[in-house]
Amino acid sequence: MTTSLREDITVEEKALLAEVGYEEENERAGTCVLVDQAVRHIGLTDNAVEILPLAEALRRYDWVQDLMFGLIDPDEDERIAEVAESRHAPVGHFVRVLEGAKVRLPIQLFTLLAAPQGRQFHHNITVIEKGAEVEMISGSAVPRSVHAGHHVSLSESYLREGAICRSVSIEHWAANMEVHSYARSRLEKNAHATDSVIQLAPVKHHVSQSRSYLEEGATANDQSVIYAPVGTTRIMDSETWLKGQGSRSESITRMVTAGGVISNRSTLIGDASGTSGFLGCNGLKLTDEGEIFSVPALRALNAQAQLSHEASIGMIDQEKLSYLMASGMSEDEARDLIIQGFLNLDEQKIPEAVREEVIRAIAAARSGAM
Amino acid sequence: MPAKPLVLADVEIAVGPRVLLRRLNLTIGAGETHILFGPNGSGKSSLLSAIMGLPPYHVTRGEVRLGGERIDNLPVDARARLGLGMAFQRPPELDGVTITALARALRADAGLADAAAVLDLADFVRRDINVGFSGGEIKRWEILKLFLQRPQICLFDEPESGVDLEHIAAVGAAMERLLGRDGTGDQRRSALIITHTGFILDHVQAGMGHMLVNGEIICSGDPNRLFAHIKSHGYTLPPWASEPAAAASDERIAS
Ligand SMILES: Nc1ncnc2c1ncn2[C@@H]1O[C@H](COP(=O)(O)OP(=O)(O)OP(=O)(O)O)[C@@H](O)[C@H]1O
Ligand SMILES: [Mg+2]
Repeated sequence: MTTSLREDITVEEKALLAEVGYEEENERAGTCVLVDQAVRHIGLTDNAVEILPLAEALRRYDWVQDLMFGLIDPDEDERIAEVAESRHAPVGHFVRVLEGAKVRLPIQLFTLLAAPQGRQFHHNITVIEKGAEVEMISGSAVPRSVHAGHHVSLSESYLREGAICRSVSIEHWAANMEVHSYARSRLEKNAHATDSVIQLAPVKHHVSQSRSYLEEGATANDQSVIYAPVGTTRIMDSETWLKGQGSRSESITRMVTAGGVISNRSTLIGDASGTSGFLGCNGLKLTDEGEIFSVPALRALNAQAQLSHEASIGMIDQEKLSYLMASGMSEDEARDLIIQGFLNLDEQKIPEAVREEVIRAIAAARSGAM
Repeated sequence: MPAKPLVLADVEIAVGPRVLLRRLNLTIGAGETHILFGPNGSGKSSLLSAIMGLPPYHVTRGEVRLGGERIDNLPVDARARLGLGMAFQRPPELDGVTITALARALRADAGLADAAAVLDLADFVRRDINVGFSGGEIKRWEILKLFLQRPQICLFDEPESGVDLEHIAAVGAAMERLLGRDGTGDQRRSALIITHTGFILDHVQAGMGHMLVNGEIICSGDPNRLFAHIKSHGYTLPPWASEPAAAASDERIAS
């Protein structure tokens, strides 16, 4: 595999990215860093992994053009159309894991918005080939000096037959930014995806829309932890299509508002026999300000689809609070511990490498330091 | 923090408009261990919860004093910081909050491994508190929690119920150690212990027992004698028992 770019990222940039999962590149199978409107850096340590700027991948492989806008309609909305306009010269990464490869170290992918009031339009494509297995860590970050900007991203992921992908994404945008992200993934026969999404930092307005399509025997597990302080609005809309026989999914979303607005609409569609799916949406509302609007929806198109959901929104349980306070901690300390517990991700699903960043991000979010 | 006497003087305890306990006079001197007996529903847990300051229990009459300071209007965390601690009968499950996280929050991580080993909970420190714990494991954890907290006055709500025969000695030994009776030189803590089985009497040296019936302490006296009486005669007034309002206990309340 060729490495097309080796322009370095600065020490400051590395420090910033470390908060969202960056590790030294000998600890990673591959690294890609997008800064503003360019692919700044690509590094590879594993021959089974290929990472290219998408524009170059299009030139190199004629089949990549069939993947681009293969899962997303360029005319779906005006923002997507705006990104689609520059489809001849897209900015974004192309990640490919070769057939049958069991990639030992994670791949890490980052987006940095470094220009104040910058505008980013990214298009990313990922292909995990037949039988390959990989872990991915993706993070987005903004220097402290940048407060406002706009980020739009489209990402299309293809998990070929029997592919396994475990991914974690940590987003740390700036308090006055607008973000629109569109994610599409196709899980082919017996493919398996585990996704963890961590969105704890303040952002003015974040709209994320995702669609996944599961073919025969494919399984998807995802868990998201979402935090909205005062001034943050997050709008999430996801659809999981159980299209192939026996495909299964489980999705858990934990939302905490400390005065911000969270709207979460997730739909599970059972479109084949022997499919089963579960949606769990739990919200914790800490103050009277803000809002949680949670709409878990089930749609059965097949008589043999088993779908269920569980949803709740509540405040911090007084009994738990008193229990902790009876051991000598203050009410604030007890609250922190309960919120942290609520937002805790299932540790087994998080690669070792990002666990610490996650704990730190949660700690910072609950203390209002982010 | 030196141990202080805990005094209840003519205390009434209510939940909302409902009075659960009344005319309670009780003094637990510094370093003393008292046992509380009583049938189901007599108000034992409510009494401990009210002393601890847990909602929804309120002291609606009389006073609770700790070393002379009135505490019945203080919030639960303030009482804990003054030296009260409680092993709960039925504690809540804390999803996502591990034993280790709680120990860290109490700045007691240093002693966690040792204390956990004593209570055979070494493998539990990464587990969420009380989530999926068996009945006996909950009891052992509640005592471990007091080791982390190190309160001067320990309130135990049925610490041995549901604990198997092998672990009961460990629970007894741990309580003895916590209360500073095992000669390790730790300072003596006071305790008020609720028990139905009396098992705990074999492990901790208790100086005084009280029988609570229908929300009132009907008699006090030697705990072993009281327990022997309950075993043969149920929760009835023993002929030898001192009445709660007897001169001796009045004197102690006044002091
Ligand atoms: N929060 C509450 N609201 C209303 N009633 C309560 C409340 N807590 C306790 N009670 C009632 O007060 C009485 C005493 O309850 P408590 O739990 O103190 O009994 P106990 O002596 O600890 O019993 P057990 O031996 O079964 O544990 C019971 O009738 C119970 O139903
Ligand atoms: Mg009880």
